[in-house]
Amino acid sequence: MAPSEHLAIDIGGTFVDSITFDRATGAINVEKASTTPADPTIGVVNALEKVGADLESTSAFVHGTTLAVNALLEREGARTGIITNEGFRDIYEIARTNLPRESMYDIRYDKPETLVPRRRRYGVGGRIDAKGEEIEPLDEDAVRQAARELVEEWGVEAIAVCFLHSYQNPAHEQRAGQIITDEFGEISLSLSSDITGEYREYERTSTAVLDAYIKPIFDNYVEQLDGTLRDRGFGGSFFITRSGGGALTADNATTAPVHTILSGPAGGLIGASYVGDVIDRGDLIAVDFGGTSMDACVIEDGAPAVEYESALEDMPMMIPVFDIRTIGAGGGSIAWLDGDLLKVGPQSAGADPGPICYGQGGTDPTVTDAALALGYLKPEDFLGGEMGLDADGALEGLENDLARPLDLSVREVSTGIFEVTLANTVGAIREITVEKGLDPRDFTMVAYGGAGPMFVPLVAHEMGVEEVLVPQAPSVFSAWGMLMADVVYDEAQTFISVLDEVDYADFEQQFVNLEGDLSEQLTSEGFDGGQQRLERYVEMRYLGQEHTVSVPADGLSDLDELGERFEKSHESRYGHTMEDPPQVVHLRVRAIGEAEKPSLEASDDVASGEPQPADHREAYCFTEDAMVDFAVYDRADLAPGHEVPGPAIVREPTTTIVFHSDQTAAVDDYEHLLISGGDGR
Amino acid sequence: MSTPDAATTEVVRNYLTSAATEMQRTLTRTAYNTVVYEIFDFGLSMYDRDVRLIADAPGLSLFLGANDYSVDKGVEYVGEENLDPGDIILLNYPYWNSSHILDVCLFAPVHLDGELIGYTASRAHWLDLGAKDPGYVLDSTDMHQEGLVFPGTKVYRQGEANEEILDLIRFNSRIPDKVIGDLNAQIAALRTGGKRLRELHEKYGSTMVDACIDTIVDHGEAAARAGIEDLQDGVWSATDYVDNDGVSDELVPIGVEVTIDGDRIRFDFTDSADETAGPINVPIGRTQAMCKFVLKALTIPGETTNAGHYRPIELVVPEGNLFNARYPSSTYTLWSSILGVDVIFKALAKGMPNLIPASTGGDICSIMLHETDPSSGRRFVEANNEGVGWGATDTHDGPNAQMHYVQTMVRNIPVEVFETKAPVRFDRLELRKDSGGAGRYRGGLGIRRDYRLTRPTNVLSIIKKTRTEGWGIDGGEPGARNVVVLSLTTSADDRIQIFVDNDTEAMAGDERWVGMMRGRFQAGEVVSNRSGGGGGYGDPLARDPESVREDVIDGYVSRARAVGDYGVAVNPDGEINWVHTRSLRGDSES
Repeated sequence: MAPSEHLAIDIGGTFVDSITFDRATGAINVEKASTTPADPTIGVVNALEKVGADLESTSAFVHGTTLAVNALLEREGARTGIITNEGFRDIYEIARTNLPRESMYDIRYDKPETLVPRRRRYGVGGRIDAKGEEIEPLDEDAVRQAARELVEEWGVEAIAVCFLHSYQNPAHEQRAGQIITDEFGEISLSLSSDITGEYREYERTSTAVLDAYIKPIFDNYVEQLDGTLRDRGFGGSFFITRSGGGALTADNATTAPVHTILSGPAGGLIGASYVGDVIDRGDLIAVDFGGTSMDACVIEDGAPAVEYESALEDMPMMIPVFDIRTIGAGGGSIAWLDGDLLKVGPQSAGADPGPICYGQGGTDPTVTDAALALGYLKPEDFLGGEMGLDADGALEGLENDLARPLDLSVREVSTGIFEVTLANTVGAIREITVEKGLDPRDFTMVAYGGAGPMFVPLVAHEMGVEEVLVPQAPSVFSAWGMLMADVVYDEAQTFISVLDEVDYADFEQQFVNLEGDLSEQLTSEGFDGGQQRLERYVEMRYLGQEHTVSVPADGLSDLDELGERFEKSHESRYGHTMEDPPQVVHLRVRAIGEAEKPSLEASDDVASGEPQPADHREAYCFTEDAMVDFAVYDRADLAPGHEVPGPAIVREPTTTIVFHSDQTAAVDDYEHLLISGGDGR
Repeated sequence: MSTPDAATTEVVRNYLTSAATEMQRTLTRTAYNTVVYEIFDFGLSMYDRDVRLIADAPGLSLFLGANDYSVDKGVEYVGEENLDPGDIILLNYPYWNSSHILDVCLFAPVHLDGELIGYTASRAHWLDLGAKDPGYVLDSTDMHQEGLVFPGTKVYRQGEANEEILDLIRFNSRIPDKVIGDLNAQIAALRTGGKRLRELHEKYGSTMVDACIDTIVDHGEAAARAGIEDLQDGVWSATDYVDNDGVSDELVPIGVEVTIDGDRIRFDFTDSADETAGPINVPIGRTQAMCKFVLKALTIPGETTNAGHYRPIELVVPEGNLFNARYPSSTYTLWSSILGVDVIFKALAKGMPNLIPASTGGDICSIMLHETDPSSGRRFVEANNEGVGWGATDTHDGPNAQMHYVQTMVRNIPVEVFETKAPVRFDRLELRKDSGGAGRYRGGLGIRRDYRLTRPTNVLSIIKKTRTEGWGIDGGEPGARNVVVLSLTTSADDRIQIFVDNDTEAMAGDERWVGMMRGRFQAGEVVSNRSGGGGGYGDPLARDPESVREDVIDGYVSRARAVGDYGVAVNPDGEINWVHTRSLRGDSES
């Protein structure tokens, strides 16, 4: 029998989530194991053993990992050197000379150390100009000498090469790379032009350095994990999720691992897009509420929003990454007083010691403690009863630390904690919707992560969003989403020209070249023509503007049509158009190899009669602004066709769904909960 | 009326802050000139109906601080009763605008159901309004040489564009497209903020919002006063000098006295020069903005700003003083206000050396190129501000190459962007070795950036502090001074106007060392902009020899200066020569 299992493993900060799907039977299994930071492979193996994955019959393994980003955050990456133009070795350190936003008034600001100290940055002769023409040949001896000193004197394990204007003409970078490889075959090498074809030398250098910095560790990990899996009989394809959509083969990931640096949250977005597609909802706001943070991303017409200028720890990355807005607000966020103002987060009690109610030594009141005080969590129900809750401790903490100083009741202060968390969340979601000209009321919110199903119905209520989708197993939804990943590659080429002056043949040829490269890549990975999809985009602006708008460019009949599409995009984003001529800045192609993946099937269950509550309890209803009776249901008792009127609580083993008196939950054919109603306040 | 609860107040505060941020995004995404979108030369704020600051977005601190005064004056001039929904008011009369003519303040009243509920304001640097010289004016002697002035003029009336005003702008600007583009971007930002403010009032009701704002502003004042209370009481003064006023060639003194007494702080500029003939005069609104910046930095740098924070400020500055400019004094290069901030810190450092770093490079070292592009016929203006070294503190070395305190959100222009937009090729962009002031903690390094022109082009430098040194603290040395070095192929006479000449007899051959200058440069000529370093902190001989060795290896400090300034001898192999070092440091242990 052909291998028919799919396996996905998502490594998070606390847990490794694993999920298997059997294409033949449709069976899904889900498990959690502990993360093992010292040797992440151990955690992966534990997780796949726990979930009972049969590697010999597994055809595809999709993996999301925080390994690379953790190496960066903990400054445990490779010893890296830079080779750049003579006279410009400090670009990486000078950066853009600005301070982070939060340090605007900090006269004692102390710049963090760069990943590459000055002694390991070398300038060599040679220069390309802004048009891409060579005005001084590459000094090959200087490249050789620089590489030698980096390796022999400074012991670097990785070299990043970034020359000025390599986005126009990568010849010098490629030649330098060749020389370095010839001399020091073992050294890990990152050429900026291999990663991005866009201008701005500091940002491109930073991207290449990040890539170089994580590459040896990433390569080792992938090689080790791949070996371990193969030893256990795995003969299928190994994919890693990308920071900006889809997945790529592990082999390919190791050539430019910076593309996987944010592979963690990617799974949930892929999952949300997929679910949206199945139930015919193209416009979604995915909201992942975990223990320490809330991640939100807009999905428009089935595609999660992607940004091309992002940063990690103030280090810019010129690669597409999902435009995820993160705030320090989750179940573990600590509530505190700043004078007479009530604040929540960004400090989190995390999983250890955790909220007071976990009884593991936490002493600061958190959002979860407030949830307990408001009646949403019941001590004996928590985590399917695996873990009791210390309700008295939680109430006492809320009383002593917050309620008494503010002269409020515990209930009032707990609703206050929810209100403040809500305001922070709403502010973040507005940034990715309203500020981009999108009306959140046109979207369905997808609620996942441990605290998502409790919070998102409130967020929706607040923003006038009419529908909230709670998928199955919301607390492991990211891992589930990974099963749904297609293979995706992006490539961009800077192409600066006023639209009127664009040579259409040249424009077309550039796209054809980009598409040719990418299509070849997909073919070599086993995707035949029918499984390949190529999408064109043009980044455009008005002449004289800087920021661009991404304009879909498939099926263009001529350049006038491109101009019209641009004007429409600009108008909808910013509310006006200009009389200035439109200008083309970058051409982009996204190539998608459609992977074989499980499909979501309608459930055979049919509702028989009205759903029966398993319990009743008093909890706070935000619509009524009072403690009222909530019916409590077990999710396992709900079947397609059931409708549950609010206010109600729906329990499942690892999360709790809460909705209020003017909301109703319906169970759809796929056993999603669709919560609707409530029209804002 | 009941007092609002803590949670609602925090919700309202967050809402206002995110609304201001939203205004900023709108502006940067739609703006036209690099000064706005690449450099971030702007300030966006929101006010309640009494023109109390309720939120602002991170931007140029002196712009933000000046908006308060501008909107106040603008409302006074137009008359609150004459403000209709949909109006947008343009104000750049320098003495009300609190800046020079090109830092244009646009503001809009915000109404809900016909009732005034607040204002949004947006200030950005425009590229040209028809001043006597293109690019930048360096030697005007009255306001009327500096461009078209609007005292508070409706560019939009009840939502309708006032085409006559727009035409007036178009016909008075050398770069009308970009100016109108930026005007539109600013208006888009104002509307974004107005919409959000209305939504807030609709949701909570104006009574509740006003009550929350009262609480927020009172909290802001209490926090600032508590911060001042924590500072040592005392009276301190300091002086430094602007190179000249651009018209006569004399140093111009900035003298400041700061008094801290309990929860009060007073800034007194009486000892500064009188108004000058040349354009370095500072309107009082901008002087207030300088004090606001200092107060924020000293007390609550991490808080989002509101009017309450600034209530403790007392300002003493006589009319006709350099820092209280009157009509028609010229204000175009009011960069004296940038150095003024350093002078205030210089005074404060005498009383609280544990809180204040040594001096920065003291300037923003701007180079501007302008010309008509021969192929497109379009006129361009491109400018770059340079980072400077920051001063060392009692706990760490000064950071290298950062924008001056007053514009920490401002970015430089990438080499690749600049070379794409202007006829220039950079020969180098690197840190200036040995430019950081010596000290137990070393001052940060300045930058050297060499502009090689590829076509005949107009270039000017806007730099106001090249003749005096910065300062160290507690035995630390000043960093290297700012300077612009010209490498010319032919004589500078007749084509380059040098306002500040820093050549000394000792200097070699073809190079001209200058400060402020403007002129026409030939292809192949080089303008080398070298920004100053930060001051050092503590005795250089007390610096850990290991840190000196690291600095030598990284090339921040030369081997010679390691010996001369720090008494540390580093061998060519990178190891410390201890015998030599001990003798240099007069160490008797050996």
